[in-house]
Amino acid sequence: MASTPKAPAKKYDRQLRIWGAHGQQALETARACVLGSGCTATEALKNLVLGGIAGFTVVDNVIVQPSDLGANFLLESASLGKSRAAAVTELLAELNEGVASSYIEEAPSNVIDSNPALFSEFQLVLATQMREQDLIRLDEVCRKYNVPLLIARSYGLVGYLRASLPEHTVIESKPDNALEDLRLHNPWPQLQELADSIDLDAIDDVTHRHIPYALILLKGAQKWCSEHSSKLPQNAKEKAAFKQMLKSWQRSAEGFPADEENFDEALSNAHKLFSPPSIPSEVRSVLEDDATSVGPHSTDFWILAAALKRFIDGEGQGSLPLEGSIPDMTSTTDMYLQLQRTYWRKAEADAAAVEGHVQALLTSIGRDVQSIPHSTILHFMKNARNLRVVRYCTLEEEVAPERAKRGVIRQALAAEDQSVNASLYILLRAVDRFQATCGRFPGALTGELEEDTAVLKARMASVAADCGASAAQVPDDYVEEMVRCGAAELHVMGAIMGGIAAQEIIKFVTHQFVPVPGVLIYNAMASTSSVFVP
Amino acid sequence: MTVSSRWPSVATSSQLKEKMQRAKVLCVGAGGIGCELLKTLVLSGFEDIEVIDMDTIETSNLNRQFLFRKHHVGQSKAQVAAEAVRVFRPNAQISVYQGNVKESRFDKAFFQRFAIVLNGLDNVEARRHVNRLCLSAGTPLIESGTEGYLGQVTVHYRLKNGAGEIQDATECFECAPKQSRTKTYPVCTIRNTPEKPIHCIVWAKELLFARLFGRPDVATDLDEAAAGEEGAEANGDTGDHISASAFVRGPDETADTYAKRIFCRVFEEDINRVLSMEDLWETREKPKPLHLADTLGDGQPALQNGSVGGEHGAAAGESACKALGISGAHRVWSLAECAKVFLESIKQYLEGRPTEVGEAVFDKEDDLAVEFVTAAANLRAANYGIPQQSLFITKGMAGNIIHAIATTNAIVGGLIVVEAMKILAGKPECSKATFILKHVTNPKAKRLLNAISPGEPNPNCAACGTARLELLIDTAKTSLEDLLSKVVKKKLSLVEPTLRTDEGFEYEEGEGLDDDEVAGNKAKLPIMLDQQSGGGLKHGTVLHVEDQVQEFKVQIEFSHKEDWDEEQDPEFFKLGGSVPQATSKSADEAGPSSAAGPSTAPADEDDDDDIVIMDGPSAADGVGTDDDVMIVDEVKPPTMLAAADIAPDANGSAGKRGADADLEGPRKRRKAS
Repeated sequence: MASTPKAPAKKYDRQLRIWGAHGQQALETARACVLGSGCTATEALKNLVLGGIAGFTVVDNVIVQPSDLGANFLLESASLGKSRAAAVTELLAELNEGVASSYIEEAPSNVIDSNPALFSEFQLVLATQMREQDLIRLDEVCRKYNVPLLIARSYGLVGYLRASLPEHTVIESKPDNALEDLRLHNPWPQLQELADSIDLDAIDDVTHRHIPYALILLKGAQKWCSEHSSKLPQNAKEKAAFKQMLKSWQRSAEGFPADEENFDEALSNAHKLFSPPSIPSEVRSVLEDDATSVGPHSTDFWILAAALKRFIDGEGQGSLPLEGSIPDMTSTTDMYLQLQRTYWRKAEADAAAVEGHVQALLTSIGRDVQSIPHSTILHFMKNARNLRVVRYCTLEEEVAPERAKRGVIRQALAAEDQSVNASLYILLRAVDRFQATCGRFPGALTGELEEDTAVLKARMASVAADCGASAAQVPDDYVEEMVRCGAAELHVMGAIMGGIAAQEIIKFVTHQFVPVPGVLIYNAMASTSSVFVP
Repeated sequence: MTVSSRWPSVATSSQLKEKMQRAKVLCVGAGGIGCELLKTLVLSGFEDIEVIDMDTIETSNLNRQFLFRKHHVGQSKAQVAAEAVRVFRPNAQISVYQGNVKESRFDKAFFQRFAIVLNGLDNVEARRHVNRLCLSAGTPLIESGTEGYLGQVTVHYRLKNGAGEIQDATECFECAPKQSRTKTYPVCTIRNTPEKPIHCIVWAKELLFARLFGRPDVATDLDEAAAGEEGAEANGDTGDHISASAFVRGPDETADTYAKRIFCRVFEEDINRVLSMEDLWETREKPKPLHLADTLGDGQPALQNGSVGGEHGAAAGESACKALGISGAHRVWSLAECAKVFLESIKQYLEGRPTEVGEAVFDKEDDLAVEFVTAAANLRAANYGIPQQSLFITKGMAGNIIHAIATTNAIVGGLIVVEAMKILAGKPECSKATFILKHVTNPKAKRLLNAISPGEPNPNCAACGTARLELLIDTAKTSLEDLLSKVVKKKLSLVEPTLRTDEGFEYEEGEGLDDDEVAGNKAKLPIMLDQQSGGGLKHGTVLHVEDQVQEFKVQIEFSHKEDWDEEQDPEFFKLGGSVPQATSKSADEAGPSSAAGPSTAPADEDDDDDIVIMDGPSAADGVGTDDDVMIVDEVKPPTMLAAADIAPDANGSAGKRGADADLEGPRKRRKAS
């Protein structure tokens, strides 16, 4: 077909605008293993398949029941009695040709023991509707094979989501407000020279109106510092005086200040001089991380972080490398280009310095100096301000009383706006303990609601005790609600949790944006959500 | 209140299930959100659904609108979506309207048929329209929008008690002032003094594309460039330069000659003419004209014999790039490539799509249109020393493309259904406005979904103004004088009322009127309401009543009633809704706690300030004065926070506040030329 090469670009146009061609490329080479085939699993998969994931494998051993038809849009009455994994895989594949699909008819909890190596073939494992005790083993296996694990669960009107992997590094965290680093407070010699080369009193009116505001601020800073023992304006009064000084530099026509847009911009951008962007705390913690002591097993991210650290301690004199781009300013084209070149050159020099550190580090750990490409280094440097690391404790650690007692849940229970969702966290763990002893979830059989409620409360008390909290803080009606819903996987919850799960998977696969750093509880009863970091 | 009647407890009850089965709901829009919503509705047990959508399916929908397949491209969204849903829920009743929700057939009576209206729209105008109809019909509305990873769902309703008084109300879609995302540019900047890539793109799309390929009767501003304003002295002998006929293809002119002539005209001659307006360049850098042969480079008169379609196997009229063998949507083309694409795309239009010329409308999904705009914008950028853009970027800017993925739509679809369930369960007080965040931003309040209680109605809202009243009266037997004395002055306590309708009826009292006006107003007094000018005040008419001294404003909706029982209604009229106190500056007493029923204002569970503000394009891109702006189509904002500007609609029903609020936006006045 003649139009084939263009068709995918067109189809993915709207999402390419979010994560770019390289993000799409990452997605199109990622394969996901999905445990479970209920609506939470299929909703997540639907979103991933539409987005163009390379392939997926569904693992489940259940047979399609009439109740499935109501909750899963993929299933039709013709699927009744068939393997659910097979049925949903077939229909999911229809959503996007070119996505490789397969299924394994086996219980997810069995696969963990019978074929753990299976997980090593994937870039991500999504576990849906699984119990704590199975997830702990799965977590162990996934960490062994170094595959990120995402857990999603829809239980009545409660949703649960949590990732588990040792660490996830992000270069493109895409913060909402990108800060401009113009170095006006601390110009390098070439930038200062450019500012010095302009004599505001000697130039004609047109040129005066077109001095970029960055240079006006630099000249202002120099003048001010020379009169204030080398200190920039410190307080509101001095800042006002500084601005007044800039205003006095404006040309006037017939006794009135001339309309000079560049000076207006200098005044409204003076904050870039007064409060230059510092190193964000998240980046600081990356730089201070133990992993920056690199060795032969260090990942590229940490080698780059270590090089960045060396740069800041050395040539950078405490600053991150210059990003190099400058915002729009009122200026002549020539002067703007000159300013832009000055920033670019500095950015290039900084990049070269970092690259030198990278190569030295690579040599020191016995790796080829070219093994981290120049483009990767540049990309890293451009995003030096946006670096993030997220780490997750293992599930086993999370539930171990010695860690749980650290009190994240206890504190949340006591906090007014988180108490209910912390209760739901405890209840979700309690229903698994209920299941472990009773062989079924509470409320799954009708007519035993009261008995089940009593048993669940007992399980809940033990979970709460593990968390160093008291179950008395868990509202009774939520306990009853947990029993009433009988572990139902409602479609509406599957849609919401499947949507969030797919979103998080895309964040992991593309290494763009920051994934949820802990346990997410979504409470559809109150329409609230909380994240707990155990 | 017992536990069993609380919202969460009834969520899984059989009563609610039954209500969901029976409730008739309207889905406005069958696009990204609409597909998810329809699926989640039927799988949650809704069985009586009607869908409105005017659009047909595009390839770029397929990454998220999962009810559609490749072979559906070109078909009706509403139709295909309904068919797909019927397959997995055969017992669901789904009625389809392929059309614009603003058509008159979707009137108040139409909206009254529904238990809830669910919006999955992509533009503010339609959102406002649906909001007003829902207000008028008294139907609860659930609004939604997504942009990339961001999304939101909000709930709007005005519940009345048996007496027709408003018992519990949320803000309506138009209550809160919203950051305007309508991008406006001073016409002068676009025509003569562009400074940014977007200015060139707007010029290429709104002026040049429209002039070359669009309807000739829809005048564009391209030619007035020199005719108006300061161009006067530059015109001199330029009578024919500036007439639209310069863009008309001569009877014997080949497509090739025409394309080249247009190039010379817009990138060389027009620039030379603009250069002659010397006062423009006192404070700016002068543009540089482009010479065609130089631009094409290497002295080759490229495409001299360039056959449309070319040797690269593309169908004529499909794509200039394909015909030329130019690839790469993400790189910036060289100037020579831009010139080639410019010429080729004009030829492709003329020879490959002759029927479209004179009718074409820019479509961001149309390769040829996007190629033309990219090439033209980049050539103009070269004139003015402005950075050039790739086709991908140009397409996004020209088409006001909003990022969209399946995941956010899926979440939003689910959240809409949760809110719909609460309303059907009779628990509207549990409603939440929910915002989906990109990532957990606020480290203290860690959450991905942020829910807040819906805001209270804004008493000054032009659309809902809690002071909207329903007047039951005999419009054939009541004179304007009676209306004024008995209803407006006595019942509502106005002193110097001004009355008007959107249809043209006007009546005014007070100081500052001249004798003629006083006489004209007086003459209207004895006339019966339904005989008044502007079609009369009759059943369904909305009358805007204002007292400027009191700063009081109210809308009265007329319902005609002939048979009155004097015993029961001695006044011969009935004013419904909560009657506001006219003595106060605003009508804020008319909040949720009217006489009937206890106050049901829900406690706010989220006292945090973690509300997402959509990052839209900067509104400071240039807001000019009223008649000196170029309004490019609204960014189709799926998100209401960022979305609705509140300028008055064409139907004028937004009142004074709308206009005021519109002026409050950030403005940065570029020097008008």
